[in-house]
Amino acid sequence: MATNFFFWLLLVVAIAGLAGLLLVRDASRRTPWLAAFLVSFGVLAVWQSAVMFKDTTASQVLFSLFGAAVCFGALGVVLSQNVVRMAFWLIVSLGSTSGLFFLLNADFVGAVQLLVYVGGTLVLLIFGVMLTASGPYVTMKTSPTEWVAAAVVSSLLLGLILVSAFGVDWQAVDYAEAGNTTTQDASAGSSVQEGTTLRPLGWALLGLRPDKDLQKPGEPSGVGYLLPFEIVSVHLLVVLIGAAYLARAKRRVDQTPGTTAL
Amino acid sequence: MNIETLFNYLKSDLSTSLPAFSPELTICATILALLFARLFNVDRRGSLISPAGITLTGIGVAFVLSVVQLGKFTDSGSDQGSGMFTGLLLFDGFTAFFRVFLLVSIILIVWLTQLSGIPDREDGPDFFILLLGSTLGMMLMASANHMLMLFLAIEMTSVPSYVMVGFLKGRKTASEAALKYVVYGGGAAGVMLYGISLLAGLLGTAHLPEMAAQLAKIANDPALMSGPTLTTLAIAVVMILVGIAFKLSLFPFHFWCPDAFEGASAEVAGFLSVASKAGAFALLVRFCLAMVGEFTEIHATPAAMKQFNLQIGVVLGFVAAITATFGNLAAYSQTNMKRLLAYSTIAHAGYMLMAVSAMMIFLSLGDSNGAKRAIEGLLYYLMVYLVMNLGAFGIVALIRNEIFSEQIADYAQLAKSSPMLAVGMLICLFSLVGIPPTGGFVGKFMIFAAMFDAAEYQPIMYAVFVVGVLNTVFSLFYYLNVLRVMWIVPADESARTAEVPLASRSGAFVAVLSIAVIVTGTIFVAPVQQIAEQVTRLVSS
Amino acid sequence: MPELNFCILIGAVLFVSGVVCMATKRNAIGVLMGVELVLNAANLNFVAFARYTALGLDGQILSLFVIVLAAAEAAVALAIALNFYNNHLTIDVDRADDLHG
Repeated sequence: MATNFFFWLLLVVAIAGLAGLLLVRDASRRTPWLAAFLVSFGVLAVWQSAVMFKDTTASQVLFSLFGAAVCFGALGVVLSQNVVRMAFWLIVSLGSTSGLFFLLNADFVGAVQLLVYVGGTLVLLIFGVMLTASGPYVTMKTSPTEWVAAAVVSSLLLGLILVSAFGVDWQAVDYAEAGNTTTQDASAGSSVQEGTTLRPLGWALLGLRPDKDLQKPGEPSGVGYLLPFEIVSVHLLVVLIGAAYLARAKRRVDQTPGTTAL
Repeated sequence: MNIETLFNYLKSDLSTSLPAFSPELTICATILALLFARLFNVDRRGSLISPAGITLTGIGVAFVLSVVQLGKFTDSGSDQGSGMFTGLLLFDGFTAFFRVFLLVSIILIVWLTQLSGIPDREDGPDFFILLLGSTLGMMLMASANHMLMLFLAIEMTSVPSYVMVGFLKGRKTASEAALKYVVYGGGAAGVMLYGISLLAGLLGTAHLPEMAAQLAKIANDPALMSGPTLTTLAIAVVMILVGIAFKLSLFPFHFWCPDAFEGASAEVAGFLSVASKAGAFALLVRFCLAMVGEFTEIHATPAAMKQFNLQIGVVLGFVAAITATFGNLAAYSQTNMKRLLAYSTIAHAGYMLMAVSAMMIFLSLGDSNGAKRAIEGLLYYLMVYLVMNLGAFGIVALIRNEIFSEQIADYAQLAKSSPMLAVGMLICLFSLVGIPPTGGFVGKFMIFAAMFDAAEYQPIMYAVFVVGVLNTVFSLFYYLNVLRVMWIVPADESARTAEVPLASRSGAFVAVLSIAVIVTGTIFVAPVQQIAEQVTRLVSS
Repeated sequence: MPELNFCILIGAVLFVSGVVCMATKRNAIGVLMGVELVLNAANLNFVAFARYTALGLDGQILSLFVIVLAAAEAAVALAIALNFYNNHLTIDVDRADDLHG
């Protein structure tokens, strides 16, 4: 932190403003103190942040912002007592995940997340919330013991996953040769490094993998994803028929022969 | 790498994969045929073409194709498995066997639905499309060779079965059962997917053979196989096994099973208990074989991997013992026949898991003959389990049609009114216990023998063996209780009686299944053992 | 790698939140939201591993298929939940006890 004359000046003004804010009894005369406090504190915060984080890049700042939004959204989903508020926090969380995807050079996946997941699946969930609302904003309380138990178990689980995952040397583990632990360039994933994934994704879904060299012996050959791409359409058809059956109104018992059954 | 080479590679790959995939393609065509028949009103009431007829035709064609494929694998002894669709699926004797198995079970279930009237002709296409979609997923489960196909197959199997459990959508119990099933099933699939993501990231690939090779490389290097790496690996594998354990209804992920079976109709419960368990066992065997790696280099695997696989085998053995015990103990207090059969399904999943655990122990120590015997036991038990469990559920469905109840107390004096059903139930329940000369006895004997041999390497497995045998004895009493009600307990005079004569279509169904149960235990032991032996030879070579 | 560790951290927070949501919420749709959180945690892991490890493009393709499968499952789950609501006039999973678990 840069502690020079201006720093101390701004700090004194901020403390004076805070003191005046708290000590003045007449509410209508607090405004100048509030203004002084806010302005000085704001300038102080921005200036010191710029000094402390002067080496961080814009992408790291964005990373932190989106990451924080994801985590706070997830916490909001867990802690909300009202299912409509939970839906809102879920949208915040999933939208920020999409931002993270863009930052991780997965442009197509990020766009699909926004279009399909947030714009489709979550809208469907909100439909479900609204159609099953049994009264104006019913809140369902969970007891304090449940909260404590959930907090303990979740922090244990989180700690376990993080401690083990942070200790793994990811570079060395992935590129391990027998007895040789030097890292290599990710030549096979250069499109992911550069962020131009749209074409290679399209090729891969058709079954061709131009990013994997099939001629070099010993190099892992690429897996073409044509089969899942086609078979998932059969799965969606079956799921659609199932959901339509469940959502259909019950038919009348008397059926005249020759009429369609719908 | 120019486009021409890539296209030629794709063309050559498709020209070998698509014929090998023909049973699944036939099933897709059957789904479309069912939809179009309903669209153009070809299958309306009074016409010759019925939804069940279309389904049976399609399944029959697929069955013939898969029997031909299985014949090619068992006759020409040297036919190795090959990859399909650039290595996503594996096409070997194991795949062919499970395709035949699943198609036989679907034929029996469609036959049962025609006898019991659920679903009726109007809802027929919906039900059969869901059934076929789920079967497609199970066939993919049996041949999966890539983590994406593993997850895709589990989802393709589960999601239509969620709807099938809630198929009688007007009934409160059915809708509650379906809700509980979908909520727990979705959670288990999510946890499994998180484990898959950790494992794929750790090993740098999602293709199972490459994963095994990478795992062996990591295990060879003591600097890499550090504490955190091992913990992450263990967490990932445990999460994946949690997902598979949910599908197999193993302890402690069994709680969905009784509710789902009670809420669903007996036909759907029979389908879930037989076909979905068989598919999940095939998937578990594939996953375990992938963890063990290239079989020919089994002696070259590092000690760390051997220990890891051995521990997986022991843990599976203990889970199997606890599951079998829990299932048998909880079945004692049941008054609803379908819940009793659900707990019995849980217990049998425990027995079959003992075979997989024995297989893992043998494989971790390099004993390929022992592993073959364990897989043989599993396959034989699955075949017998198909006929005996479907027989039991089928009889429950037929009785329900007559007396509209599934409580055991209402089965009183069934032996007088429908001797055919009572005798069939007797044979099926005796087989479930494991009394000779039924097929259940031979299956249990094979599995327990494999477990006994595995216990030589790992003495703690003797405990699992003893628990298994004790459970077989425990289970005798609650099955006998059902038979006691049917044959001995006097009936209430005003109660409805079920009268199903021998010379009827229902009688024929029960007769076929009962004869199959006995035949698999006596005449068919050797041929079935031969098929199983050839299948395992191809899996492990 | 600090960036990969950061992504794994966020993924783990999402996963644990999803699991807690599945375990504690009484509204069936709330439990479904927990399932969505867990699936997104896995997706984030896949995309992060695609960027920073040898998983490469396969990770992004896996996450695409996961999005598709999650959408299908959410549709069916909602249809079943609505069917349950029509039969029982409540969406509270704790009050569904006709089948004594």
